[in-house]
Amino acid sequence: MIVPFGHVLILAALLFLLGACCAVARRQLLMILIGVEIMLNAAALAFVAAALHWGRAEGQIFALFIIAVAAAEVAVGLALIVAARQRTGSTRADDFNRLRG
Amino acid sequence: MYLYLTFLLLFPLAGAIIQLACLPLGGYRPPRRLAEAVACLASFGALAMAVLAFAAGHGGTFHLVLRKWLTLPGFTSEMSLLYDPQAALMGLMVTLVAFLVHLYSVPFMRKEEGWLRYFFLLNLFLFSMLVIVLADDLLFLFLGWEGVGFCSYALIGFWYQEPANCRAGRKAFLVTRIGDAALLTALALLFSRLGTLSLSGINLQVAGLPPHLVELTGYLLLVAAMAKSAQMPLQVWLPDAMAGPTPVSALIHAATMVTAGVYLLIRFLPLLTLAPRVMLTLAAVGAVTALLGAASALAQRDIKRVLAYSTISHVGFMFLGLGAGDMGGALFHLLVHGFFKSLLFLGAGCLIMLLDGEHDIFRMGGKLRRCHPALFWTFAAGIVSLAGVPPASGFFSKGEILAAVFQQSGIGYRFLLVLALAAVLLSSLYGFRLLLIVFFGQPAPGAPQDVKRPPPFLMVAVLYPLALLALTSGLLNLPSSTWLSGYLGSPAPQPGWIMNSLDTLLVLGGLGLAWLSYGPADRLGLRNPLSLGALHGPLLSGFGLDRLYLTCVARPYRVLADLLWRGVDERLVHRGLLAPGYFLSWCGQILRRASTGLLSTGLQGLLLGAAAIFCLLALRWWS
Repeated sequence: MIVPFGHVLILAALLFLLGACCAVARRQLLMILIGVEIMLNAAALAFVAAALHWGRAEGQIFALFIIAVAAAEVAVGLALIVAARQRTGSTRADDFNRLRG
Repeated sequence: MYLYLTFLLLFPLAGAIIQLACLPLGGYRPPRRLAEAVACLASFGALAMAVLAFAAGHGGTFHLVLRKWLTLPGFTSEMSLLYDPQAALMGLMVTLVAFLVHLYSVPFMRKEEGWLRYFFLLNLFLFSMLVIVLADDLLFLFLGWEGVGFCSYALIGFWYQEPANCRAGRKAFLVTRIGDAALLTALALLFSRLGTLSLSGINLQVAGLPPHLVELTGYLLLVAAMAKSAQMPLQVWLPDAMAGPTPVSALIHAATMVTAGVYLLIRFLPLLTLAPRVMLTLAAVGAVTALLGAASALAQRDIKRVLAYSTISHVGFMFLGLGAGDMGGALFHLLVHGFFKSLLFLGAGCLIMLLDGEHDIFRMGGKLRRCHPALFWTFAAGIVSLAGVPPASGFFSKGEILAAVFQQSGIGYRFLLVLALAAVLLSSLYGFRLLLIVFFGQPAPGAPQDVKRPPPFLMVAVLYPLALLALTSGLLNLPSSTWLSGYLGSPAPQPGWIMNSLDTLLVLGGLGLAWLSYGPADRLGLRNPLSLGALHGPLLSGFGLDRLYLTCVARPYRVLADLLWRGVDERLVHRGLLAPGYFLSWCGQILRRASTGLLSTGLQGLLLGAAAIFCLLALRWWS
């Protein structure tokens, strides 16, 4: 493996942080969803790198699982966003605060 | 014997239970005749059983155990009966008077609502009193004692729509409660020392007790009897108890309530005789009460209150007799008093009914004598017996008590004898005052005019046997042939000719004085009740004891209750419990701001939480 394992992990961590910042900072529902996707993919990257580093298959299998979960999550998330948009005409996260205490 | 005594108790209890079972049926009411018949049959059954038991007893003493009642480690209580001559006589008198009162109640309650409740309470009253009369186990006796208190409370406040009646009922209950507490304390004392609550057992072992303990127990029993028997200074409930229906007054005064105190002391006489100071106190209470009660009766205008104070006074005589050690005399007077007082109350009930509820003796007037001679003659028989005019029974019973006091040595008893003789004079005076004003006086203007209707047959019919008994029950214990004393096994003191003639003179003096002041002649001008002078006010109000209790007991109690309620409960306890609640609520208000309902807040929290957890894990990994 050409790229050192530590570098890949750092990249995965940076990606994860970027995704997290995106999910927390953005106010559009769609962008929050994208942030979550990025975080998932960062995790998948770390799994793949680990699988390569130790030469074992479980990490790659987990990466496949993550892709499947991400696909399902996107399907549900997008459907929810569409439904929210149809109900209220808005996709801004701050417009949905009916659970306020 | 077992059968008779069991059924003596079971008859009134069964009557009460049958009526009680019908009470909650609400919509369905048994026919009135049925309830009346059940109540009267129950009391008649009790009377028949009392007679049979009396006949079978032959003056012996029987100790029967009905069943075990309570069994605890180190303590058993049985429903046991002690049937001795006192109980036999008392049972006879109680059931006889109760039976006649039941009969009398039938027409009396015809126009009233709540007759089912009335007859239920009447039967229960009789049952409780019979428990007191027969019980050997003191806890069983206490059950009857409390039952009597409860029934009197419920019956005095029978017409509960009037707040005054309810107050009178409560007052009776509360004042007698003092006595209940004393009795319970005495029982606890006896049990802790002797380990038994059986009356016969206690009376056998009591000689082994230390004297101070006997004295203490004696005083406690005395207080118990004073409250129940309405003796000074706890007599305040009895005049107010007149709020109840008249037959109930007759029952309370003659048979079931007031006599319970005297009877309790009779039962405990072996204990009391060991404490001479208690005996002297007992006699003093009796003599003072007899005198003051008689004086109070002189000032009353309400016919029932006159009779109430007269009861207080006569029960005082019984206490005096008992205090002089003459159990036979006390019981003799108790029986005689039961007959003439129930007669007088039932007669007064007839009069009040005829006059549409008029209680004021000055508004009754002379027409009654001409229209209703039967009422007049029976009432006169009662009064003659009450005053103790020589051939009537009251003369003999009172004479025996006076003789007993006369025989006691000591300056204390001499003084009490003087008080008692004054009470005899007053007794005759107020008795004949009542008779003369009610049946010979001119009615005040505005008095009810229509008195010609005959009273219901049954109400008059029961007066005849009572009148006969009131006049002749003195034969039980004539000075020459003392059957009663022999039956009871208590020696009868012989009133000498000095005592007898003094007694007669005083009674006749009272009669003459009453005739002069209240009779048709009306010479002394005492008819105006104010002529008692400055004494009239205190006498009318029972010496202001009511006001004294209100200011000295009720008011501090109320202030204390108010303090405890407003001060301690509301300020301290209530607010003290509210404070943590307010604190938690305040915390909630602060935390509530965190819950904005926004997606981003949740995500931020998630991120921060995850970061914190990771930091912790990293720290632990490093170190």
